[in-house]
Amino acid sequence: MTQPTPGKGGYIGQAWLVILLALLYGGGLAGVENALSGKIKANKRAETYSVIPDLVPGSDPDKTDEIMVRGENAKEGLVYRTRRTDGSHVGWVLPAAGQGFADRIELLIGLDSGVTTVRGMYVLNQRETPGLGDYITRADFQDLFRDKPADRPLAVVKTDPAADNEIRALSGATISSESVAAIVNRALANFREPLRALAVERSPGNARPDEAVE
Amino acid sequence: MSTEGTTNVPEEGPTALERFINGVLPENPIYRQLLGMCPTLAVTNAMKPAVTMAAATAFVLICSNIMVSLLRRLLKPHLRILVFTLTIATFVTIADRFLAAYVYEMSKQLGPYVPLIIVNCLIISRAEICASKQGLGVAISDGVGMSLGFGLGLATIATVREVLGSGTWFGLHVMPASWPNWGIMALPPGAFITLGLLLAVAEWATEKRASTALWRTVRMLWSWRH
Amino acid sequence: MAEGKAEKPDAAATAESKQEAPAVRVAPSPHISKTALTTRWMMSDVLVGLAPVVAMAVVLFRWYAVVQIGLCVLTCLVAETLFCWMRRRPTSIDDGSAVVTGAILGLSLPWSAPWHIAVIGSVVAIGLGKAVFGGLGYNIFNPAMVGRAFVMLSFARELGASAYVTDRSQLDVVTQATPLTIAKKVAADLAAGAITVGDAQVQMESTRQLWPLFLGNVNGSLGETSALAVLIGGLYLCLRRSASWEIPAGVILSGLVLAGAADRLGLTAFTALHHVVSGSLLFGAFFIATDPVTSPLTARGKFLFGLGVGVLLVLLRVFSGYPEGVMFAVLLMNATTPLLNRWTIPRPVGGPAPQPEKA
Repeated sequence: MTQPTPGKGGYIGQAWLVILLALLYGGGLAGVENALSGKIKANKRAETYSVIPDLVPGSDPDKTDEIMVRGENAKEGLVYRTRRTDGSHVGWVLPAAGQGFADRIELLIGLDSGVTTVRGMYVLNQRETPGLGDYITRADFQDLFRDKPADRPLAVVKTDPAADNEIRALSGATISSESVAAIVNRALANFREPLRALAVERSPGNARPDEAVE
Repeated sequence: MSTEGTTNVPEEGPTALERFINGVLPENPIYRQLLGMCPTLAVTNAMKPAVTMAAATAFVLICSNIMVSLLRRLLKPHLRILVFTLTIATFVTIADRFLAAYVYEMSKQLGPYVPLIIVNCLIISRAEICASKQGLGVAISDGVGMSLGFGLGLATIATVREVLGSGTWFGLHVMPASWPNWGIMALPPGAFITLGLLLAVAEWATEKRASTALWRTVRMLWSWRH
Repeated sequence: MAEGKAEKPDAAATAESKQEAPAVRVAPSPHISKTALTTRWMMSDVLVGLAPVVAMAVVLFRWYAVVQIGLCVLTCLVAETLFCWMRRRPTSIDDGSAVVTGAILGLSLPWSAPWHIAVIGSVVAIGLGKAVFGGLGYNIFNPAMVGRAFVMLSFARELGASAYVTDRSQLDVVTQATPLTIAKKVAADLAAGAITVGDAQVQMESTRQLWPLFLGNVNGSLGETSALAVLIGGLYLCLRRSASWEIPAGVILSGLVLAGAADRLGLTAFTALHHVVSGSLLFGAFFIATDPVTSPLTARGKFLFGLGVGVLLVLLRVFSGYPEGVMFAVLLMNATTPLLNRWTIPRPVGGPAPQPEKA
């Protein structure tokens, strides 16, 4: 029968194995985390840095600064300030995220230094429908965002684009396409002015190429 | 009534070789026991994630079998499930971190399904059925056999789905360029349809007189040798 | 106690009947008088009913219709033979059900669907739609719609709205988008604020007339364009009692009411009447939803089933990403058929059978 009080040895006598194992496993996990966390972070960073030259043509990933910028919604966000090999400022890489058709989509948006043109777009993380929505990860879709105006919202159309701020939707995945455009629009609305202000403020900095930001 | 009653349990049950063979086909985790359906349905749209998942599950299953088998004389009946879960969760976390560190792309693709190995019934059922009752050698060979069986199940489903759904196998094009990709195969319904049809095929194949006779002969030989 | 007594004479009777066949067959109720009501009789009736629809499809889409429907019917017959052989059952192709499945599947495809879509759709319709459940009479879902859904999800590009339209064809009707696609796009653009109400009216001009929609001189899947042809065939089926009138009545009624409401709320660019005569609402109501295997048994159940199809269909047309919703509406309602059957068990004459009182 079930015993209301612990049997021989009391609670410790019953549970010593569980406690010991918990300590052992906890220690092991801490060791694993300690050994691997640096590599995992580096993996995430490496992915971002590997696409920076593509997102902002002409920039050198080794000369990229990570700065915190306060957006229009008063929240701070990480922005990559990309520079040429000689140190002069070429543009920005703006991480952005939002709801897609299935789940959260994470993007990187490449911008020129004055935030007038979108230089590139890259989908970091997505879980859209395989075979339809996940085509947003294809280069031919991401290239549609190249050299689009950054000063007004992008629009998704189902026909051939007529205006320069229009992007043709993926057939069968209109919602995924629209989600990506909406995330870009929202991120731009939030960071356009703060980044422009930073670019102006920093422009004399171009004369001193090796200036460290942090 | 003594809680230490487990210490004197005589060790009997299938031998290491039987455990191994059973895991691969006669008691295949997917086609025979229908365990671990979540990864079976969720990550089999292509070979790469399926094989990664099979490898991660194999690591967790074998490690958990080893630990449980080593601890089996110390287990208290009413606390054993707690010890099993603790052990499994630890190894799953280790597997998850290793994937994120060394196969980052796959880790991103598998997403929540790696942590979900914790609730894969296959692992806890092996701890309960085999590892907590038998010695280290048997437990390891059981883990290896079951892992192979699970991997075989995932790989067969993934092969059908990837070839039909994307015209590729391990990302290599195996179908002619004009192959129309069966989109549904890459989608969740394709997983259910493929699993159902392959289950039927497995049932049909084992029903066959020839294969039954073969299994009977093989089994007879083992039982005769031991 | 009575049962114990009855056992002996019964056994004697069986022994007797083994010796010589009785001159007069006495059977317990129900007494089915219409011995001609076989599957084959019914299926050939459906084929007669489909004749005007097929004729209209051939007039509008010429060889495309002949090839598409012919391929589907042929593949269905081959698949039926194959699966009967695999299940070691006598072949059932002569009951005509495979021909009907093939014809309905063919009529529900666009003229431009490539051959592999017709073949895969037909094999899936017979195999996954019917054979895996145990053959005709055991299937839960309408086989033709299972095949259609499979290829729809597999080959979204070849079966989507753009598949219907081309400017390189001898056929007149296929140069314009299907009416429902136009209506869907206009409603979406209006909602997004991309066009004004005036623009919307200009864009809807081509589909404003009900008459072409009714006659069928518009783009669409092979069998759905002509409301007239569907009505002729469908009414024939209802009059012959091969299809139950309650189902199409329910579909049209709830379709009209809900589409009217959606029109009032400005959710769709079509009026209720437009919704009924465009797309495959009528075709689905008369030929797809009336499948006797996958629809309820009782009159009340059939009407509820029809209402459900109509409601889901309009909801899908208005709110989903697809311009049309007949396929998913029918499949979803198929799933509720056992439930509807249970809810609508008719009251036996003279009230329920007396139950023994609980002690």
